[in-house]
Amino acid sequence: MATEAAPMDEKAKRMRDLLSSFYAPDPSISTSGSSINASFDNINSTSFDADQYMDLMIKKSNLEVLLQRHVQMAAEIKNLDTDLQMLVYENYNKFISATDTIKRMKSNIFGMEGNMDQLLQKIMSVQSKSDGVNTSLFEKREHIEKLHRTRNLLRKVQFIYDLPARLQKCIKSEAYGDAVRFYTGAMPILKVYGDTSFQDCRRASEEAIEIIIKNLQTKLFSDSESIQARAEAAVLLKQLDVPVDSLKAKLLEKLEQSLDGLQIKPEEASTLVEDDDSSNDTESNDQHPAKIHEDAVRGFSEAIRAYREIFPDSEERLFKLARALTAMHFEYMELYIKKRVSAADFLGIFRIVWEDVVLMDEVLPEAALSDLSAEAAQVTLKQFVARMFSHLQQDISDTLLKFDINQKEAVEGELLKVVLEASQKAVLQGTTNIFQDFRQLLDEKTGIFIKMKDLISGWIQKGSQDFFRSLEAQFLVLSGKTSSSNDIEGKSSDKIHAGLILVLAQLSVFIEQKVIPRVTEEIAASFSGGNSQAFENGPAFIPGELCRVFHAASEKLLQHYIDTRTQKVSVLLRKRFKTPNWVKHKEPREVHMYVDMFLHELEEVGKEVKQVLPQGTFRKHKRTDSNGSNTTTSSRSNTLHNDKMARSNSQRARSQLFETHLAKLFKQKVEIFTKVEFTQESVVTTTVKLCLKSLQEYVRLQTFNRSGFQQIQLDIQFLKAPLKEAVEDEAAIDFLLDEVIVAASERCLDVIPLEPPILDKLIQAKLAKSKEHNNNTVSS
Amino acid sequence: MQGGSSGIGYGLKYQARCISDVKADTDYTSFLTGTLSLKEENEVHLLRLSSGGSELICEGLFSHPNEIWDLASCPFDQRIFSTVFSTGESFGAAIWQIPELYGQLNSPQLERVASLDAHVGKINCVLWWPSGRCDKLISMDEQNIFLWNLDCSKKSAEVLSKDSAGVLHSLSGGAWDPHDVNAVAATGESSVQFWDLRTMKKVNSIEHAHVRGVDYNPKREHILVTAEDESGIHVWDLRKAKVPVQELPGHTHWTWAVKCNPEYDGLILSAGTDSAVNLWFASASSSDDKTSESPVESTRQRVNPLLNSYTDYEDSVYGLAWSSREPWVFASLSYDGRVVIESVKPFLPRI
Repeated sequence: MATEAAPMDEKAKRMRDLLSSFYAPDPSISTSGSSINASFDNINSTSFDADQYMDLMIKKSNLEVLLQRHVQMAAEIKNLDTDLQMLVYENYNKFISATDTIKRMKSNIFGMEGNMDQLLQKIMSVQSKSDGVNTSLFEKREHIEKLHRTRNLLRKVQFIYDLPARLQKCIKSEAYGDAVRFYTGAMPILKVYGDTSFQDCRRASEEAIEIIIKNLQTKLFSDSESIQARAEAAVLLKQLDVPVDSLKAKLLEKLEQSLDGLQIKPEEASTLVEDDDSSNDTESNDQHPAKIHEDAVRGFSEAIRAYREIFPDSEERLFKLARALTAMHFEYMELYIKKRVSAADFLGIFRIVWEDVVLMDEVLPEAALSDLSAEAAQVTLKQFVARMFSHLQQDISDTLLKFDINQKEAVEGELLKVVLEASQKAVLQGTTNIFQDFRQLLDEKTGIFIKMKDLISGWIQKGSQDFFRSLEAQFLVLSGKTSSSNDIEGKSSDKIHAGLILVLAQLSVFIEQKVIPRVTEEIAASFSGGNSQAFENGPAFIPGELCRVFHAASEKLLQHYIDTRTQKVSVLLRKRFKTPNWVKHKEPREVHMYVDMFLHELEEVGKEVKQVLPQGTFRKHKRTDSNGSNTTTSSRSNTLHNDKMARSNSQRARSQLFETHLAKLFKQKVEIFTKVEFTQESVVTTTVKLCLKSLQEYVRLQTFNRSGFQQIQLDIQFLKAPLKEAVEDEAAIDFLLDEVIVAASERCLDVIPLEPPILDKLIQAKLAKSKEHNNNTVSS
Repeated sequence: MQGGSSGIGYGLKYQARCISDVKADTDYTSFLTGTLSLKEENEVHLLRLSSGGSELICEGLFSHPNEIWDLASCPFDQRIFSTVFSTGESFGAAIWQIPELYGQLNSPQLERVASLDAHVGKINCVLWWPSGRCDKLISMDEQNIFLWNLDCSKKSAEVLSKDSAGVLHSLSGGAWDPHDVNAVAATGESSVQFWDLRTMKKVNSIEHAHVRGVDYNPKREHILVTAEDESGIHVWDLRKAKVPVQELPGHTHWTWAVKCNPEYDGLILSAGTDSAVNLWFASASSSDDKTSESPVESTRQRVNPLLNSYTDYEDSVYGLAWSSREPWVFASLSYDGRVVIESVKPFLPRI
């Protein structure tokens, strides 16, 4: 079967090919498409050449093969024959069936035409009949229609005749809506025929309508009427072509007038708030202003709501009005916080304003009042925060300056101490209070505050940063260090008491060490938010920087204090050295009085310092330390000094100078200018050192004769004891005093020091005299 | 401690106060200095910085009759200089000429060109116009200011005009405006005063007390720097002389002298009685718009203007001079007679 199947398939395939080649218009396509091996020996190809094929066959094959081929071919040809026959048969069958079908169709169509004709006839007859009916009914219908129109007209006329009465009835029953509807309905007719047929009618109805209009207007303005009614009245009036704009304007005016009543004037604000507080106790009491205000605003918003409904097309004016009210509120609030206001009061006012805004916003949501007021509130809040800080600063500087009125007594009493303590308290208490207030701000639950929490924190941070910075600047200005008020040096130092500078310095230390850490804690605890959003460039409050600033300021101020103090001494010394002719100086008779003044200045410094600065804790230790390292120094300079005293011979001056140099070379450099510390001793020591150095410099600028030199020697000798008393670093003082003597001897034409006994005697005399003087002052 | 021993030192025999740059010497960086000794033979030293800049050589040593309180080299003739001297009782001022061929002489004597002997009181200083050839000289004593006409060839100096500052204003020093040959500043007890030399009248003053040193900024007109006893250094703009443009803290004790660099604008040198020389940079920008107080600006102003502090001195430093030939070199002189030459080159890039 399998062997049979293949040739069978082959056969069928060829048949199909042949058939298609027969029907195909172009035989080449089918052959080239179907034949698999189109070569010479393919009989099926069109290019098949029988002779060539034969030649090839004969050449290639032997007889046996040829014979075989012959048999095979004969069989194939026979096959083809039968195939063709079958094909013809099949086609023939199909033709026959097609003819049958066509024949049947023909017979079916045959009777249809007659039926069609019949249908047409019937339709024609129906049409003619309906036409007949139509024409017969036409006239009657015309008549009916005419009658109907007349009836309508008559009814309208009747309506117009009835109109005045009807309107009266409406007025009586206050059915103005119907009245207006009737009137407007009759209007066109009245307009056309009003002058002729319906004159009376028209007059009567117009009178009625006038009454209606009047009634409507009163209704519109009467506050007692419901909004609905008023709105209806407005609509009706509009329908009656009454000019509504003037009414609108009038209403608006009324609203604007009522606006004035709603203002929270700064002067009233406080009472508002106070009563607001007390209202908690007396709930029922509706007489307090806050309640009144609230009612007023409520009324206002109601009025606006009414207006809006009455005149829905003129919202813009309302928006303007509402905005004006809000803006006004915030304006007054700004005025209000210009004065000192506690956070609670501020919040009270703010709450009231916010309630107003919320009320208005309900009525006019499109006016974007909440946005407007949020912006305004931001500004106000920001100002409030800034103002709080500036008030605090004002407080602090007030405290500082309050005490400084009686400058003369400042040194005597404990005034500086009082000032310092008061100002320290002011700063600490002030910052604490301010942060308490701010915490209230943050705790506030009013809508906007919650939204702005971050912003507020940011402002507070920035505010405190700015506050401390400006406080520092103000300290410097107060101290006269920064010459904002351009004064001459002497003038400003007169104006600004040195003690104040010292207080400022110590206060700066206090702020650096106590206040700023505390503020930092506060901020970290309560106001840490808002950094990232509000300030891109890092947190606004940088305690480290502030500490640095105040540290620098404290040092600067302390230095400034010492400067002003030494400046005073400097002036003293300058006068002392400028006035006499040192080359023609007379023999010393007593210690010069400038020494007293110098010591007096030092005493003042000591007193001031004692009030303000802490005592050095390791004074003792320091002294022994300096003794340990510097005893050799002082002793050496002492011996040198003694040497010099002994060697009065001026010819040896040169070797003396050499010796001085040599001594200096080997001597440990005495640290004259050490860093000032915030202790009593350090400040006094520094002041004394600087003054002695100045003394030395003044001496160097002069030329002395013998007596002049002796005078200097005497003065210095006298200074020695009290200075050592006052000062921590004895070695340095010794050194500096010696330096003055050396400088004087160098600038002396004829160095012969006073004999020690004379020196002693003069000093004793001076001491006795000053003691006596003291006693006198005490007794008097 | 900053500023170790990088400087080149030179010791004078005696104490000294004044040193001056020899501006007219274009071949070498040289300085003139004079000693201040009441009882000894005083000397004027001509110092020259060796070409390598590593050594300070004494090029000339001349004896000077009296102790020298002020010394100024003539800006257009390197052999001429002026001194103010004192015998202890009285003061004098003179113009000197360094003799030619002094190297070959054994004991070279200074030639006295002219004596400025119109003064009575204590003479403070003699000023040359710093910017070029000008045959005029200014000398000041405590009360008066004199304008001299100097004729070197005739060896004479005569007073052209004078003005008195008044008894109350005891003048202490001064500076001649390098931008304006007719403007001179003088420091007094309570103010800095300005004269117009054409009319010889006071035209202006800055009410500021205890000014020790004063110097005009040679690079920028109208800018004046003052050094005060206690309150440090101030920079002024003379067009609005009420408030200083800038304040520098100065020294621990008095600021004695202040000098603007002849080449680098804003570079200021100050010498103090705290045995130190400080190098400052007064930034020009902050002096221009000091009013704008933006935070950025303020932080910039907080940058320490002190570039360096040279503290390698044993005594107060009174003498200070920039070299005009090598503007990064300065000479300082402490009271013990030590001249120290330092270079500020390491600090220049920071400007």
